Amino acid sequence: MKNNITPIVNNIRKVAFTLLSLLVILFIYLSYLQVIQSGFLASHPMNRRNSESSHLVQYGMIVDKNGEKLAYSEKEENGFARKYPYGAITAHLVGYDSPTYGKTGIESTFNSYLTGMNNELNHLGPIHRLWPRESGDTITLTLDSKLQEAAYKALGEHRGAIVAMNPRTGAILAMVSKPSFNPSTLEKKWENISTNENSPLLNRAVQGLYPPGSIIKVMIADAALSEKVTDLKKTINCEGTLKVPPDYVLGESGLKAHGKIDLEEALAVSCNVTFGTLALELGGRKMAKTFERFGFEDALRGELQEVPSQLPNFSSLGNGDLAQAGIGQGSLLVTPLRMAMLASAFANQGIMMKPYLVQKITDVAGNPIKEFSAEEWRVVTSPKLADAISNMMVSVVNNGTGSAAYSSQVAIAGKTGTAENPHGDSHAWFIGFAPADNPEIAIAVIIENAGSGGSIAAPIARGILLKALH
Amino acid sequence: MNIIRHHERKLLLIAGVVMLNGIVAVNIAQGNFDYGMIGVTCGLIASFIIVNGILTKAGYVGDPFLLPLATLLTGISLTVILRLKPNLFFVQAMWIGIGLLSFLLSTFLSRRLEEIAKFKYICAFIGVGLLLSAILFGVDIGGNKNWVMIGPLRFQPSEFAKMFIVLFFAGYLSERRDLLTLATRHYGPFVLPHPRFIAPLITIWGLGMMMFVLQRDMGAALLYFGLAIVMTYMVSGRLSYVVMGVLLFLLGSFICYTFYPHIQTRVDIWLNPWSDPNGRAYQIVQSLFALGSGGILGSGLAYGYPNMIPEVHTDFIFSAIGEEMGFVGAGAVILVYILMVYRAFRAALVTNLSFSMLVAAGLATSMALQIFLIIGGVTKFFPLTGITLPFISYGGSSIVANFILLGMLFTISEVRAADEK
Repeated sequence: MKNNITPIVNNIRKVAFTLLSLLVILFIYLSYLQVIQSGFLASHPMNRRNSESSHLVQYGMIVDKNGEKLAYSEKEENGFARKYPYGAITAHLVGYDSPTYGKTGIESTFNSYLTGMNNELNHLGPIHRLWPRESGDTITLTLDSKLQEAAYKALGEHRGAIVAMNPRTGAILAMVSKPSFNPSTLEKKWENISTNENSPLLNRAVQGLYPPGSIIKVMIADAALSEKVTDLKKTINCEGTLKVPPDYVLGESGLKAHGKIDLEEALAVSCNVTFGTLALELGGRKMAKTFERFGFEDALRGELQEVPSQLPNFSSLGNGDLAQAGIGQGSLLVTPLRMAMLASAFANQGIMMKPYLVQKITDVAGNPIKEFSAEEWRVVTSPKLADAISNMMVSVVNNGTGSAAYSSQVAIAGKTGTAENPHGDSHAWFIGFAPADNPEIAIAVIIENAGSGGSIAAPIARGILLKALH
Repeated sequence: MNIIRHHERKLLLIAGVVMLNGIVAVNIAQGNFDYGMIGVTCGLIASFIIVNGILTKAGYVGDPFLLPLATLLTGISLTVILRLKPNLFFVQAMWIGIGLLSFLLSTFLSRRLEEIAKFKYICAFIGVGLLLSAILFGVDIGGNKNWVMIGPLRFQPSEFAKMFIVLFFAGYLSERRDLLTLATRHYGPFVLPHPRFIAPLITIWGLGMMMFVLQRDMGAALLYFGLAIVMTYMVSGRLSYVVMGVLLFLLGSFICYTFYPHIQTRVDIWLNPWSDPNGRAYQIVQSLFALGSGGILGSGLAYGYPNMIPEVHTDFIFSAIGEEMGFVGAGAVILVYILMVYRAFRAALVTNLSFSMLVAAGLATSMALQIFLIIGGVTKFFPLTGITLPFISYGGSSIVANFILLGMLFTISEVRAADEK
């Protein structure tokens, strides 16, 4: 009997071996699926788990420097919904969070903190359930919501942008772009918002590119002094026009002759002839060096998502175009944020701080997770020259084109700009800071196609500066 | 003192702790502590220990691993079903209890297993009858037309039919093993035994194809057909039968694929589920998402979204385990099955009675094939077939049938232990 079944035993052994091998192969395949393919499957756009879970988490708040809520989550019937108490006023900065159209602003760049997904325990699967989180982290901005609101109102019905920052730290105090949109009704009005010809979704403060016009003259003045093509005493005779060979003529607005003026007087009256001449005397190479020194070649990284400035190719620039660059015209294009940084640098003894918007991140219980502090970005000029330029900017306001920004309570330094552009009337610019002797706030204001900087932008800037110092 | 049963008791206690731990974990995660559930779970664990006591008293020396492994799997089953469909928890617990009784009954009856060999044709009659009843009176529940209703009771005959078919094959083949290996006829290049001896193979093939076409029950068709081929091979040792069987099956499948659109659908979504992820391939794609989202450690019990998969508590329960317990949990389940199949084959290999040996090997084969088909199906390793996961899927027929099967294996494994004494 036993002999009889020996072949059967051997056959069963083979079958057992084969079937057990099949199960082992299945085990290996499962490890491939759950370890190697895991990322692809878990983040697949058709995997509804991600959107389902986002409704179950209470996202963290976004608050201003005083703890005022700018965005928070509220429990509703089908999970949590995002609320924006300041609506259009902070829309570009705070951003939106739409299941259909994605996320922007702080909602996007700090998403991992807001959702609480940054938690390292998340990679430990079920283990992190032992420490359940009620909500994501709170993001505290450097923004002052009162100032932001004032800036938003000050722009009125104009298109434009305002950037206000602390020149000593780089902290953004207000950043407004108009027209704006309400992030709470974005889903419903998307069609209208996204196709509007005035581009309400565009954050003009960091993504709008404009010719700087005369406000760039503060930098040219600094360059001329530091490269010693002029000094504080040297005068230029302005006859109303500057002939640039072979055939270009640079004129003053209204072709008004300023006569014999020194650098301070030239800045105060925004003399095109003087700054055109200085640009020509500096030459393409030194002009390029100046723009590089002031950081126009370098991108700002971080949460502000600024678009890079557009500079002319100075080495191949003709004299006419070079003179134009000296008065902020031609192919030079900058963002309002850069101009606020320019004013800040002169307010901060020639040190340009890195602008930042997020002050700190705290968990629900208020324990700090991450703190951000002032960071020196670059030294653009010497304290001595910065001081000299500051004094000139004070006289721009006290007895020059910026007189509309003058205040008897506090010394304001500034520079106006009226930038010609191919889209219609000139853009009205104003950059400045206050108090002039001990700056606490620097500002850049641009009003699109509104006319003269001195009459349109300067009074708006004045109002905001005074409001901030009050 | 019965050392084997003593070991078994210790293993049962470990499995019991796993079961209780799972139930408590889900209760805590879902935020409402139900003492009734804890009580029922403790009762079940006690029942397993009592069964161990009865086996000790009766002097059984069967394999001490089989029952604890089944306990572990039913523990996972209860935990996952409580997580997925809490209102089915008590029903499943009841079926596990009934399964345990069936196990005891099965171990006692199986002591006279050799006598059953005489009634092989009755077994065949019952087995085929059960399958036919599903084909003729099948009711569609949850996409599978393999349920039979008798009054208020409903059950899946194919779960029970497999052990009768195994008994029949074992009896038929062990009696004729000489003929299968020796008596051959030549048909061209093919070497075949006398038609009389491959008749059962052909019959089961035919039944398989009928199930395939009429019931859309590809899983059962593959299972029975695979069983027939493998058992014939065990006795004859001829790979030509296996090749022939596979060719026949491929031919049948090809015909079905050509003429029946639902078979085409099954194969097409297996080949490329991403072509229609929200339509025909919805279930398998959701299953893959669940497994992928689980990753290595899983989302944690009650923190995943396994209910996004339709029919998750029956055929797709493995994907739910993979999502919430990760590869660690799902891989462990496969390892437990590998151990169980291994112990089942060991039971076969140590017997010196050819009928018992074939029964054990057949049951082990059916278990392995079933596990491979369903886990392979939900992981897209193999075309999806509607079939249950032994000891884990929700459902009385599946639980009770598998416990009966386990009881048979348990008693067959005794011979070895008796020899060792």
